[in-house]
Amino acid sequence: MAWNSSSSGRRLLDCEDRKCVGASWALVSAIFTVGSLLALASPIAATPDLKGIDPKDLQYYESSIIWCRDKSKSFPRERLNDNFCDCRDGTDEPGTSACPESKFYCSNIGHRPETLFSSRVNDGICDCCDGSDEYDGKIKCSNTCWEAGKKSREKLEKKLATFKEGLKLRTKDVDYARHKRKEQQEELSTLKKDEKNLKDVVKKLKVHLDAIEKAEKEEELKRAKAEQERQAKQNASIGNTNASVTETPTEVRPEDFEVEISDVQNSEDSQVEEKEAGSHEEGLETVVQSEGESENLESLSKEELGKLVASRWTGEKVEHEGRFGENSDNSHHVMEETDEAVDDSSNNLHETGEEFENNENADWVNEDRENEDNEEEEEEEEEEDNYEKTYVPSEHTEVERIRREFSEANSKLTSLQRKISDLELKLKQDFGKDGEFFSFYDQCFEMKLNKYLYKICPYKQASQNENHATSRLGTWDGFKDDYKVMVFSNGDKCWNGPDRSLKVRLRCGLKNEVLSVEEPSRCEYVAELTTPASCLESKLLALQQQQRNAESQLHEEL
Amino acid sequence: MDCNLQFILGLLCLLVVLISNPASGFKSEEFRKCNQAPFCKEARARKPGTSKAHVSEISLKDGSVRAKLLSFSETDEPAGALILLLTVYREGILRIRVKEENEPPSGKRRFEVPDVLVTGLEDRRLWIQRVSTENGVTVFYLAAGHEVVLQHSPFQIHVRKGSEQLVSFNSKGLFHFEQLRQKREGENWEETFRSHTDSRPHGPQSVSFDVSFHKAEHVYGIPEHATRLALKPTRGTEEYSEPYRLFNLDVFEYLEESPFGLYGSIPFMLSHNQDRTTGFFWLNAAEMLIDVLAPGWDKEVDNEEKTAASSIDTQWITESGPLDAFLFVGPTPKDVVKQYTSVTGTTTIPQYFATAYHQCRWNYKDEADVKHVDSKFDEFDIPYDVIWLDIEHTDGKKYFTWDPILFPNPEEMQKKIASKGRHMVTIVDPHIKRDDGYWVHKEATEEGYYVKDVQGRDYDGWCWPGSSSYLDMVNPAIRSWWADKFSLSSYKGSTPILYIWNDMNEPSVFNGPEASMPRDNLHYGGVENRDIHNAYGYYFHMASAEGLLRRGDANDRPFVLSRAFFAGTQRVGPVWTGDNTADWDHLRASVPMILTLGLTGIAFTGADVGGFFGNPDSELLTRWYQLGAFYPFFRAHAHLDTKRREPWLFGEPYTSLIRNAIDTRYALLPYYYTLFKEASTTGVPVMRPLWMEFPKDASTYAMDDEFMVGQGLLVRGIYAEGISVESVYLPGDEPWYHFETGAEYAGGHHYKMPVTLESILVFQKSGTIIPRKDRHRRSSTQTEKDPFTLVVALNTAKQAEGELYIDDGKSYDFEKGAFIHRKFIFSKGRLTSSSLHGQDNSRKGFSSSSLVDRIIILGLKPEESIGKHRALVESVNQKIDVERGPTILRRGAALNAVVIRMPNVAIADDWSIQLL
Repeated sequence: MAWNSSSSGRRLLDCEDRKCVGASWALVSAIFTVGSLLALASPIAATPDLKGIDPKDLQYYESSIIWCRDKSKSFPRERLNDNFCDCRDGTDEPGTSACPESKFYCSNIGHRPETLFSSRVNDGICDCCDGSDEYDGKIKCSNTCWEAGKKSREKLEKKLATFKEGLKLRTKDVDYARHKRKEQQEELSTLKKDEKNLKDVVKKLKVHLDAIEKAEKEEELKRAKAEQERQAKQNASIGNTNASVTETPTEVRPEDFEVEISDVQNSEDSQVEEKEAGSHEEGLETVVQSEGESENLESLSKEELGKLVASRWTGEKVEHEGRFGENSDNSHHVMEETDEAVDDSSNNLHETGEEFENNENADWVNEDRENEDNEEEEEEEEEEDNYEKTYVPSEHTEVERIRREFSEANSKLTSLQRKISDLELKLKQDFGKDGEFFSFYDQCFEMKLNKYLYKICPYKQASQNENHATSRLGTWDGFKDDYKVMVFSNGDKCWNGPDRSLKVRLRCGLKNEVLSVEEPSRCEYVAELTTPASCLESKLLALQQQQRNAESQLHEEL
Repeated sequence: MDCNLQFILGLLCLLVVLISNPASGFKSEEFRKCNQAPFCKEARARKPGTSKAHVSEISLKDGSVRAKLLSFSETDEPAGALILLLTVYREGILRIRVKEENEPPSGKRRFEVPDVLVTGLEDRRLWIQRVSTENGVTVFYLAAGHEVVLQHSPFQIHVRKGSEQLVSFNSKGLFHFEQLRQKREGENWEETFRSHTDSRPHGPQSVSFDVSFHKAEHVYGIPEHATRLALKPTRGTEEYSEPYRLFNLDVFEYLEESPFGLYGSIPFMLSHNQDRTTGFFWLNAAEMLIDVLAPGWDKEVDNEEKTAASSIDTQWITESGPLDAFLFVGPTPKDVVKQYTSVTGTTTIPQYFATAYHQCRWNYKDEADVKHVDSKFDEFDIPYDVIWLDIEHTDGKKYFTWDPILFPNPEEMQKKIASKGRHMVTIVDPHIKRDDGYWVHKEATEEGYYVKDVQGRDYDGWCWPGSSSYLDMVNPAIRSWWADKFSLSSYKGSTPILYIWNDMNEPSVFNGPEASMPRDNLHYGGVENRDIHNAYGYYFHMASAEGLLRRGDANDRPFVLSRAFFAGTQRVGPVWTGDNTADWDHLRASVPMILTLGLTGIAFTGADVGGFFGNPDSELLTRWYQLGAFYPFFRAHAHLDTKRREPWLFGEPYTSLIRNAIDTRYALLPYYYTLFKEASTTGVPVMRPLWMEFPKDASTYAMDDEFMVGQGLLVRGIYAEGISVESVYLPGDEPWYHFETGAEYAGGHHYKMPVTLESILVFQKSGTIIPRKDRHRRSSTQTEKDPFTLVVALNTAKQAEGELYIDDGKSYDFEKGAFIHRKFIFSKGRLTSSSLHGQDNSRKGFSSSSLVDRIIILGLKPEESIGKHRALVESVNQKIDVERGPTILRRGAALNAVVIRMPNVAIADDWSIQLL
């Protein structure tokens, strides 16, 4: 198993032939420091123990006095691998376990060479496939390099095939993306032109409409004044005591509505606030408020108390009054259901809002707010619109016609603007160096794992779904690590933990496919996705080089 | 309108289920205070001198002093007499027992806690030959120069040496003994605390008294509390707090400084001053409260025996149970610990692997996770010996089962772990899921093995699995049945490398009073939980360890970690300090907690490295590893919701720093194992307060930021962020050597030392020899045949000595002499190794092929030694090299030491090496 000097000599020569790009710092420094002495190193008299030395480093060990690499001291060659650590950095014991810092090189003929920590040498466990790390007779390691090498070569071959095929697909995708992107850019400029024209139309109509409305308002005011006077007279005749009663129907009722609306708005707000507060305080999702908990504990049933106390450790939600049915061992269950309830209603609102736009009375939609991101506010607005809509008088046919025209134009403009902003949003995304991720924009990738369905929508968000419950794992946060990882962050808050997040590792593959989803740390998810987009030419070349190296090494060894 | 409705509905849903604040932190109000417990409140309010008990009818019976105690309180109704029994054991131990003379009318006897006292105790009893009675006192012999003085009226007991009083019992007249009696008409014995009612069927039965430690500077012990090592007064002129409580409880997010009772209880207190250490132990497993009274606490009271300013008085109060107490006279700290452990037993020497590093987390999720973590340790060349699985590994929190999806092939998984010489630990808790499909529950129900509620039904509490019952571990038959559950055939998926962890054994009952069991629950023999509460976890621990013992044909030392403990737990297995928190204060608190456990007999202890709750930053985690590497029990653990924090996850430099810390522990394993051997024979703990090694040095008495490991190492942790200079006190008048640089520091000084993130402050005491194994390995298993390094730290006389104990690290063969025990002495330039083992050990079935390949000598100037010196291995008459070298084999280590190179003498042999 030990090196003999002739084979090491040959190895060294080979190394020089191939110019040995990877020559280690040690070698370089050795040449500098020991200089010409080394070059002239005389042939070694005693058979030196060269176990564990990387062939590239053999030269370093040729002189009769060798320096520790850290220059702390030197040692005579007989101390090389004498099983006593002289150099703190392990220079003198590459072939034994004596120095904690040294590394053991096994050549693994038939497979690829490996460098082990010194802790593996003669520890009774076979680490190198050639078994060279166990030489003290405690254990006999069979040489498995040939099988291992074969397996690894086959694996490499397979991988190469995947890369080759994948690269073709990728090239296609990149072409398609380039083409499509250009198309969409053109579409965008067309849309923008249309928008400009439409804006002019709307503007004109608006001027017209304003004039009509102004006249209308004056009329209205007049009428109102007359009405007031009429009522004042009436009131006077009924008497002061009843004044407040009679005021009620005329003045208070509209306010009533306003109050109702603002109530709804407030409760929306507070709903959101409470949700946030809950998550801020790393919400132990229990029914009972912390402050009042002490008192409330007393009134709990034994089972509720048990669950509540358990929840301090686990953060599981404790459900009151069995309202949500069976005990769930998913701590996020209830919260998610609630979330969804809210989501649903907002979705509905959206639909309502969209219907609105197509409605001929949609002229009350405030265009300034159209592009606002804030959903909540939008919802409120639309809510209000919805209410006010029913109060729009439509008496005069002329006014009505202009108003309808205005409304139609406006609505067209709105939808146009929405299209523009969508397209702009898309086109400003980072689709990779070659636009290879362009097609990811409109795709979601899914994986079912036990009871969960994971949904990864690049450029948008990722979620974990269980029946009707959804946890947001994060919203799109871009690529990291040279397009090898997609990051989704700021997902739903975890009790006592971080916000959920997901990292998607990308690997070359022929299909877009989620291979695994894991949660190595609480609420920090990691998924693996294969995609042709990650089949890079540079990597293919590297693999081919690797294959050539393996082949030439094998050839050499045989 | 539809939309509105949806919103309102959504809102309603939120309101119903919402989301309160997290139950963050310790909830003081959920735990009973002294003044909420009538027995405690009354005892605490009692004035000194209240007790009017007097002694009569003193006689010698079977070598013990027997007497009657009468009319012990003016206020109490007349009751039967009490019997006082005083017994003496070898080496200065006095036992004080008081019982009701007559069988109580209810038929209930006070429960005497079984299986705590060692079996051979009776053999060490000294027969009291005679007593002398005059002037109202009876005096008899205790130990070398010590006498017991029994004062008749008022009843008091003193231990004295010559004219010097050491310890007194009832010298403050607080003795109070509520005799068991029948309920009077209209009397209501029920007590309620929060929503829980305690029926108290046997009524008042509290016992309390005072103990005075004369001239004591400090008192220590009575774990488990998160407090300083030197116990602060709880009552007195300035101070006032809750008394120290001994009541085993599962406390959520405990505070880092509080007299509040935690998971275990040992009613053993030590006192110390320059000349004398004494101890007092009360064998009673009921709720106990102990006040440490500040000097002058009784100055308002007209009492003839005012406390001398230098005394520390203490008041001891229990709810029920016997008065059976032991007094230990010392005189040194080690003597007291030895005396205490001669009564309750010593720590069994652990398996070698168990003294190495343990990797735990709630939870390693599945087999792939286990494999991944295991392989990462190898990838980063960080050694570890044991990987742990918390509750999530089970099928629905049914212990002895495996989650079929996450752990489908547990045996295969353990085989892989075992192939690297590593071990695995799984958790087994005492709450049994009430699930008819669970065989443990089925058997326990059928056999009637559960603890009963006050109505006599199987008690149904709530814990991890939901509705759960608790095995009645007080019953030896049930313990035996339980032990059989650990056999390889019964515990499916277990293999011989699997060991056990007992958690929640206080017991923790989520919906019980104070998150534990109702006091009126009934155990074997009709004993209430009130009487055995603090020992429940101990019996459970004992039964589990017995299971592993049986599994290994009584020749594989069990390893069972327990959270709850009682006096005697040291014989069973290690404990840890429970659910601590990842902050600097908890890091700091771990030291006094572990030191206190060591003083009270439990040598094998540790705290969760990293802190259980919360997320340590990289610096805190590094500091925790650096300190934790010196805990007797070295395990990292983390809560389910924390971020992963395995040693390699924080990147450089932290990975390397943590690796260095763990490597240091591995290098020192031979030293630790030798210290465990010492603990197993003498009771002296592995990790010791400074005053145990330097009992005369008063400046060390309250020190608990630094500590000793054995006699040889002093460790000073770093307990705050960003420290660049830290003070350290090096006691004694001999020099110390920096553990890593070998630099020498004179003893008896406070130093301000520069500190980097590289390491905490560790020093080797001069005059000691520490054995190490410096080679890196995957786990301790692979170090077996590796050579030893001896680090010889010379004192000013250029002398040093040390020991090394080795055995097979697994079995009980050492009891038959299968071990190597060496003594190393360095004197006059010669290092000799001789056997401490009585006979030639080669015939006793254990030997070692390991050599000594490196001898590091600190205290010789390298520049004077190198070149001139060689060394002669005298047995083979071979000259070897002496060189300048580092104290530790690490990149950049200073070359401050003289190194004898490759003596290659066998560790098992006698040899000597002479420096020339």
